[in-house]
Amino acid sequence: MNNTLSTKKKLPIGIAVAVVVLALPFILQLIAGNDYSVMICCIILVYVIAVSGLDILFGYSGQISLGHAAFFVIGAYTSGLLNNYFNTPLWLTIPAGALLATGIGALLAWPASKLKFHFLSLATVAFGEIVYYFLYVSPKIGDSSIGFTNDYMGINVINIPFLDNYTKWYFFLLFFVVIFLLAKQSLIHSRTGRAFMAIRENTHAANGMGVNVRKNKIIAFAVSAFYTGFAGAVYVHLIRYIAPATAQQKQSVLFLTMLLFGGTGSLVGPIIGVIFIELLLELIRPLQEYQMLLYGILLLIVIVALPGGLYGGVKDAIVSLKRRKETAKLAKSDQ
Amino acid sequence: MLEAKNITIRFGGLTAVNNVSMQVRPGQITALIGPNGAGKTTLFNCISGVYVPNEGEVILDGEHLEGKMGYKINAAGISRTYQVINLFWNMTVLENVLVGMHSRLTATFWDSLFHTKKKREEEKQIVEKAHEWLKFVGLDEYANDRAGSLSYGKQRLLEIVRGLASEPKVILLDEPAAGMNTTEKAELDVLLQRILKMGYTILVVEHDMKLIMNISDYIYVLCQGSLLAEGTPAEIQNNPDVIAAYLGGDE
Ligand SMILES: Nc1ncnc2c1ncn2[C@@H]1O[C@H](COP(=O)(O)OP(=O)(O)OP(=O)(O)O)[C@@H](O)[C@H]1O
Ligand SMILES: [Mg+2]
Repeated sequence: MNNTLSTKKKLPIGIAVAVVVLALPFILQLIAGNDYSVMICCIILVYVIAVSGLDILFGYSGQISLGHAAFFVIGAYTSGLLNNYFNTPLWLTIPAGALLATGIGALLAWPASKLKFHFLSLATVAFGEIVYYFLYVSPKIGDSSIGFTNDYMGINVINIPFLDNYTKWYFFLLFFVVIFLLAKQSLIHSRTGRAFMAIRENTHAANGMGVNVRKNKIIAFAVSAFYTGFAGAVYVHLIRYIAPATAQQKQSVLFLTMLLFGGTGSLVGPIIGVIFIELLLELIRPLQEYQMLLYGILLLIVIVALPGGLYGGVKDAIVSLKRRKETAKLAKSDQ
Repeated sequence: MLEAKNITIRFGGLTAVNNVSMQVRPGQITALIGPNGAGKTTLFNCISGVYVPNEGEVILDGEHLEGKMGYKINAAGISRTYQVINLFWNMTVLENVLVGMHSRLTATFWDSLFHTKKKREEEKQIVEKAHEWLKFVGLDEYANDRAGSLSYGKQRLLEIVRGLASEPKVILLDEPAAGMNTTEKAELDVLLQRILKMGYTILVVEHDMKLIMNISDYIYVLCQGSLLAEGTPAEIQNNPDVIAAYLGGDE
């Protein structure tokens, strides 16, 4: 809660950000002349929700998850399958996907909440792999002309005429990003959020101060899974494609890299991390096979040189700059 | 009010606390002293739910607490500080106090998530209250600093108000003066008296004899896990067993 920027400076910055965010799809279309760059923005928005969810679990509660993509995929498949086979409308498939992810998250957390850090990371890796294999070996469901095969699932779009271009998608997603980030802020600055942080800082003392550690860990897992599951559920409608492979390690590591690189335990960190890494991935698209290598390098940079992530680094820089200014002022007034 | 009855706890072959009974009377400062390794912290851990005693009972105003989880014991009205400071280092000083209030708050998870009126009102109220607590120990100017950035003596004070923030019936202080300089110790003496005046009840473990003899109403002496003596400060000071234990011990 350390205020790096004074409230006076915050307002104009906030307004500037809002204007840019609202104008962005139109600017991009003017410059690029096509929808592709707007679609990238849409993916960024989806990932902001997913990674903010991971932040609640890892950044705030200190519980590692190396299988978070599984929640993303559970949300995506639930939403996609309901849409494909029962023609369920979007406003039902998305909450359904998010809620199933939440339920499974809570179920996983029930035993996992007893595990210490290293064992929890192993358990979550295993969870991700289980979800992947489950989807991979599942038999075809129904007619595969539109639908579900072992390799991928396509989604028909009959139900969403109001989202017929990416600019519309952009504002649709932006609306949810705002809601989810507001909820995250509200949660963090509350009894529950402080319990999360207390558990991260010192489980033993948290228990002594009246925090039900087990219950709050399960809540953190469930909330986190809801965010990431929701992101998966909208993603499948946006991209109209999902494959079991998305549940694999690579995607989970992507989420974690985005979070760590942007900065954990903050509102802005996940946003910066997602934007930075998604754009970087676009730049090196031809070198896709080396994605994991890239994640490795980025993680190494963060761990060695930028423990607070990009956001933490910038924040520290501002603080030390301010301090230097102040000492300079003091030195001047002393003379 | 708080009563520990025949508490025994063993770690493998070692009996760390052996059949110890003690009583804490309301509105008093009760002290627990003894040489290093006597089992004082272990007894605190049995009372506050960190350990489950092998035998014995912990009773607070008629309610049995032995074997309950720490967070439930906190809610029942026993709060504590730690011998090795256990603050939430990367949270602000203010947030540390707010966590201390956890079991007294009524906002639910849903209130928290949806920023309901109930949550907003409660937050406003408790932030004010937390600032009052910080003023009480002279830490309010550090409210928005990281707890980890405080000096050692101030960390001890923060731990005490974090413990008091749940308005416990009894607060257990494990060596509050450890690492403090003489001035800070004198201030702590005054602070404990002020806490007492507010109506709180204190059970304190401390090695500083001058402080203990000055502030305590009643003293229990533990030695190698067993109760060696109990009595008023004057009685304890003149007890030959106690003198022998302290001279013979590694003090
Ligand atoms: N978890 C544990 N496992 C094994 N032995 C323990 C454990 N906790 C405490 N002990 C042992 O119990 C005995 C009492 O330790 P305790 O920490 O209660 O002493 P103390 O009176 O608080 O001493 P000090 O004044 O040094 O703080 C010691 O011999 C200690 O090694
Ligand atoms: Mg001790």
